[in-house]
Amino acid sequence: MPRGDRYRNAEHLPNLRAGRRAPPAATLPRQRRGTTPQMVGRYPDYDVMDSAHTWDAATRRVVEARLRPRPGRRFFSDDEADTARALCDTVTAQDRDPRIPVMLMVDEKLADRRFDGYRYEDMPDDDQTWRLVLRGLDEVAQRRYGAPFARCAEDAREAICEQFSRGVLQGRVFDQLNCKRAWTVVTRAILAEFYSHPWAWNEIGFGGPAYPRGYMRLGEGLREPHARPEAVHDDPVRELTPPAP
Amino acid sequence: MSTALAGLLKGSRRPRDNDSAWLLDPQRRGVPNRDRMRHYDDSDEVDLCIVGAGAGGSVLAQRLARRGWRIVVLESGPFWNPDEDWVSDEAGSHQLYWTETRVVGGQDPVELGKNNSGHGVGGSMVHFAGYAPRFHPSDFRTRSQDGVGYDWPISYRDLKKHYEAIERELPVAGQHWPWGEPHSYPHSPHPVSGMAARVWKGALRMGIEMRVGPVAITNGVMGNRPHCIYRGFCLQGCKVDAKASPLITHLPDAIEHGVEVRAESRAIRVEVDDADRATGVVYIDRRSGERRMQRAASVAVAGYSIETSRLLLLSTSARFPNGLCNNEDQVGRYVMVQGAPQVAGRFPDEIHPYKGPPPEVSSEQFYETDETRGFARGFSLQTVGGLPIGWAEHVLADGHWGQALREYMRDFNHWAVMGVLCELLPLPNNRVTLADEKDAYGMPVAHMAYTQCDNDRRNIAYARELMRQLWLQAEAQDVLAIDRYAHLIGGCRMGFGPDDSVCDADHTTWAVRNLFIADGSCCPTQGSANPALTIMALASRLAERLGSRSISFQRAAWRSGRQRAVAAA
Ligand SMILES: Cc1cc2nc3c(=O)[nH]c(=O)nc-3n(C[C@H](O)[C@H](O)[C@H](O)COP(=O)(O)OP(=O)(O)OC[C@H]3O[C@@H](n4cnc5c(N)ncnc54)[C@H](O)[C@@H]3O)c2cc1C
Ligand code: SF4
Repeated sequence: MPRGDRYRNAEHLPNLRAGRRAPPAATLPRQRRGTTPQMVGRYPDYDVMDSAHTWDAATRRVVEARLRPRPGRRFFSDDEADTARALCDTVTAQDRDPRIPVMLMVDEKLADRRFDGYRYEDMPDDDQTWRLVLRGLDEVAQRRYGAPFARCAEDAREAICEQFSRGVLQGRVFDQLNCKRAWTVVTRAILAEFYSHPWAWNEIGFGGPAYPRGYMRLGEGLREPHARPEAVHDDPVRELTPPAP
Repeated sequence: MSTALAGLLKGSRRPRDNDSAWLLDPQRRGVPNRDRMRHYDDSDEVDLCIVGAGAGGSVLAQRLARRGWRIVVLESGPFWNPDEDWVSDEAGSHQLYWTETRVVGGQDPVELGKNNSGHGVGGSMVHFAGYAPRFHPSDFRTRSQDGVGYDWPISYRDLKKHYEAIERELPVAGQHWPWGEPHSYPHSPHPVSGMAARVWKGALRMGIEMRVGPVAITNGVMGNRPHCIYRGFCLQGCKVDAKASPLITHLPDAIEHGVEVRAESRAIRVEVDDADRATGVVYIDRRSGERRMQRAASVAVAGYSIETSRLLLLSTSARFPNGLCNNEDQVGRYVMVQGAPQVAGRFPDEIHPYKGPPPEVSSEQFYETDETRGFARGFSLQTVGGLPIGWAEHVLADGHWGQALREYMRDFNHWAVMGVLCELLPLPNNRVTLADEKDAYGMPVAHMAYTQCDNDRRNIAYARELMRQLWLQAEAQDVLAIDRYAHLIGGCRMGFGPDDSVCDADHTTWAVRNLFIADGSCCPTQGSANPALTIMALASRLAERLGSRSISFQRAAWRSGRQRAVAAA
């Protein structure tokens, strides 16, 4: 395969793989510049923050604030925080550092009551839904694995989330809660925080805020002068080293 | 005008009777003449009090101000200063949307919030995508032509010259338009992004014709509005002033002609006297929490579909125990959305879906009824944007989370996204009512019930499958789909009588003859066109009718306003 073509075919996409599962994390390219969650990424030499000096002041303030240490927790209790962190990290597959502090970001949003503008008639407000979900997850985990959700092994947490996503969890809490809708309430909040973080933008090669600079190369396959190419298939260093005799 | 001549004049014709683009400050965004804005006392009976500074309310104010009307616009949200208040960032744009709780129900509930309505001077167009198509002539008579929906009491002819005027004011850029009534646009089509080029290729292989535009984005300079810089944050508010919103297209001119736009003012009640005449609007000054009332000789409500109905329902009295104009139980009914599933296709090359404005190319080839498809009316096909949070919601909706989601997210730059707008039919039980829950001011919040009918379901399923086929024809390597809705309309529709509508062909409510519905609420159907241009054109027509005194009540109010002005001088 010629260099740079690793992702031209789509063999890495879950829909085209057995069990709709992603390729193993160990096969992913490592980030060389900037930070990405778990230091994996498709653009090893791209750091969106390199462009921060080209952004307008208002945007820069908002984005840079996401990189600073989060203020203390205000919404989740200690017990809830453990479960919430485990849920956030399972949904976003954050299995090691560096991690985007999704739980703290959600905590801030809920404490400020920054809701999305609607509530299903059969659901409580989003903050109550969160508390119920966390209680429900612990209840299911205790019943099945004899430990709270946060202390279950990764595959146990994933198995619970898989049923949660299909809306089929049962128990004292989930019998009273529209499980499928609860899943969308919590996952949308989690993903909105995760993908607002510049580390996630590095991982996926998003250009970031582009005002006032804008874009000038619109066509397919074209790249802005400051953008970086996707990861290459082979390691250039190894390639240049002559094979041992 | 001949097409050739129109082509030659593209981008060079200045709008008539609207100097907004020339009033703007080239160095700062937003409304420059705010510091010399006129102020009216609450007790000063103005000629017209408008609730809502959005698409409908702003055009109405601008037009009538030029005819000497004394107008106050009450707007619940802030008066935006785009340089400071808006950011090029998805999560940071939360405050642009109407995010106070609304309760949603029915069998197919509509998720509101960022996808539906705005809050602040400029209304929802501040964060609208920017598509600006006209309705088709058929949209105004679907009942008699297609046997579904409702006939409007006005026709395309009544709106045509207002469409042309607004297209010049926004301005709209695009190729010559072959669908509906064929027409051309004042600005040339924009260059297309990699994503739009992909959609175009797929469409060609399917025998689907597409056109570039129509988008309310300057292509070239207009007055002090610059060219688009293709940065793709149209749904987060255009910090460039290239994309149209009333904040820059109508309010500067309105303010120059004496309109007061009173921000942070939440209307909670339209006051009506014993003779069933509106006498003013009760509102809460959100900064002080104070309850006040602006007196007015006439009132126009333009708070968009949900809030307009809610305001009428909140305005109860002995004569109107179930809400103003609701003695016939019509307020809040026939509220509509469009079915808006999106399907993304994966390609070997990097496409960079975040570059360029989300609205790029579209097709109305499927707009009209085709009996072979098995349902009445149709849909339009459009490109949509790709930003990380939106893309994550898309991937999640297809059932991926955890490592699988991360993998699709890393693949972001290889995806092109396409969407449709399916015309969904007006149904009486799709309705805005009041919920038990109260807002921060003690007012019951809106409840919106929504259930699709069979025709709606067939339309959406057909359109979704067509998009999938299009991507497969285009040799997409994988596809991901999400079901969603877009665009609110209706709730206080215009019609032929009080038993099945709230207002007449002149937007005048049947029950209160100096009360007007001036926003998207008045539309009886939505077609598969994005609604903002039509909402503005309707407000422009209403202003013409009021200003030329074609609406009978208004003669007296207009005179009384004039007489007061003369007496005061
Ligand atoms: C994400 C998104 C994308 C869109 N894309 C497109 C598109 O591409 N093309 C298109 O044509 N349309 C689009 N739309 C829809 C379009 O923006 C709206 O249809 C249009 O702006 C509605 O106009 P309006 O005058 O009815 O209401 P609005 O423009 O919403 O104005 C209503 C105003 O009234 C205020 N208000 C409400 N209640 C009160 C009250 N009680 N007191 C005081 N003020 C009040 C609100 O704060 C708001 O500012 C989009 C909408 C969204 C949300
Ligand atoms: S893409 Fe163009 S119209 Fe859209 S926000 Fe950017 S500059 Fe404005």
